Amino acid sequence: MAYLWDQLRGAIPLITHGNPYILDLLWVTIRVAFISTSLAVAVGLPIGLALGLGRFRGRRALQVLANASLALPPVVVGIAVLLLVLPSGVLGPLRIEFTLRAVYIAQAVLALPYIVALTPAAIQGLPPGLLTQARAFGAGRVQLSGLALREARIGVLAAVIAALAATISEVGAVIIVGGNFQGHDETLASALLEQFNYTAHQPYETAIALVLLALIVVLIGTLTVLQQRVGLQLRFRTP
Amino acid sequence: MRLIWDELRAALPMIVDGNPYLMRIIGFTVEVAVVATAIAAAIGLPLGVAIGTGRFRGRHIVHALANTSLAIPPVLVGVFLFELFVPQAPLGSLHLIWTRRVVFIAQAVLALPYVVALTAAAVQGLPPGLLAQARSLGAGRRQLYTLALREARIGVIAAIIAALGTTLSEVAAVAILGGNIYGYDQTLASATLYEVSGGYYADALAIGIVLIALILILMGGLGLLQHQGEGIRMRFRSPA
Repeated sequence: MAYLWDQLRGAIPLITHGNPYILDLLWVTIRVAFISTSLAVAVGLPIGLALGLGRFRGRRALQVLANASLALPPVVVGIAVLLLVLPSGVLGPLRIEFTLRAVYIAQAVLALPYIVALTPAAIQGLPPGLLTQARAFGAGRVQLSGLALREARIGVLAAVIAALAATISEVGAVIIVGGNFQGHDETLASALLEQFNYTAHQPYETAIALVLLALIVVLIGTLTVLQQRVGLQLRFRTP
Repeated sequence: MRLIWDELRAALPMIVDGNPYLMRIIGFTVEVAVVATAIAAAIGLPLGVAIGTGRFRGRHIVHALANTSLAIPPVLVGVFLFELFVPQAPLGSLHLIWTRRVVFIAQAVLALPYVVALTAAAVQGLPPGLLAQARSLGAGRRQLYTLALREARIGVIAAIIAALGTTLSEVAAVAILGGNIYGYDQTLASATLYEVSGGYYADALAIGIVLIALILILMGGLGLLQHQGEGIRMRFRSPA
C-alpha cells in the first residue's frame, strides 16, 4: 500500500502545479476529442439517418456492415490511415503524416462506426407508427430527418458520447498515425503508453493517468446528465 | 495508391507462406482471446444475471458501475494493473509484469465489463412477467438463472461477442503490462504497433490483415451461433 501512496504523493503536485507537459497533453486530447467527434458526426449522422429512415435496397446489408465496423481494431485503422497519408498515398500531397491533423482523421475514422451504427438503431427503436404517420402527413425528407433525430435524441446522443469516449481512450491509431512526438501530437492516453515503453516508472505516469481518468469522468458524466435532461425536456414540446 | 499496393504485395507472401513468427503470434492471440473471454464469461455471466434478475440492495449501483467501466480507457486499466503488479506493489510477489500470464489477465479484466453490463441489460429486457412467473412457480435460484440466460441468449451472446472483440483488438493494456516483447507475449494487435514503430509497414499491414480475418472468423462464428437457436426450437423446450 505504501508504494501506491508514494505514487499518488508524487503525482498530485504535478497536477496541482499545472505541469506544462501534462497541460499540453490535456489540451491536445481535448482538441482531438472534439474535432474528431465533430468530423465523425458530420459524416456519420447523414449516413446513420439514411440507414435508419431509408427504404432502399441493400439497407440491411449496409447496416450489418456498420455494426461489424464497430469491431475494427484501432491499430488496423491506424495503419490504413497512415498508408493513405504517407507521401505516396492518396492524401500524401496534404503532407500531414505524423502530425496532429492525421490524428484527427484517424480518430474520426475510429469514431465513425459508433455514429453510423448506433443512430439507425436508435431511430428503428422509435414507436413504429410515428414515422409512417409523418410520411402520410406529407413530411419531406428533411422534416422526417428532423423528427427522427428529435425523437431518437437519447439514442443519438448516446452514439455521440460513445464516439467521444473512443476518441479519448483509444491509442493504437494515435500512436501509429501521429508517431507520438512528445508534446506535439501525443494525447494523454498515447503519452501514457509511450511513457511505459521507454522510461523508468515515474510520477508522471500516475499524474497523466489521473488527469485522463478525471477528463473521462467529467466529460462523459456531464454529457450523460445533459442527455438525460434533454431527453426529458423536449419530450412534450409541440412544434 | 501505389504505396498501399506495394505494401499489400509485400504483405501477402508473409501470410501465405506461413511466416513462423506470424504463426506464433496468431496462436498466442487466439489463445488470449479464448482464455480471456472464457475467464470474463465465467466471472461476468453470474454477476450479470444476478444484477439482471436480482432484487438485492445496491444492484443499481453495481450496474451503473459496470456501465461506467465500459468507458474506462484500456490504457488506464493497464496502468492500474501495472501499479498493482510491479515488484514493490501489493501483488508484486506474483511476478506477473512482462510475462505471458499478465496478458491473459489484462484482456480478461478489459472484457469483464462488457459481459457484466450487456448480460444484465439483456436479462432486464426480458418480458416482465417471465421471471416473476418462474419465481411464483417455485423456481430456485439456479433454475431462475438458467431460464434467464436461456431466454436472453441473443443478448448474452452479443455480450460475449463484444468481450471477444475487445480481447482481440485492444493493445494498450497488453503493451503496458506485457511489455510487447517480440515473439513472446505479443498479440496481433500489439505486434502491429511494434512493427509500425520500427517502420516495417508491410509487416504491420500483413499482421493487420490477419487480425481482421481472425476477428471476422471468430466473431462471425459466434454471430451465427447467436441466431441459430432463435425461435421455437429452444424457446419452448421443457426441462426434462
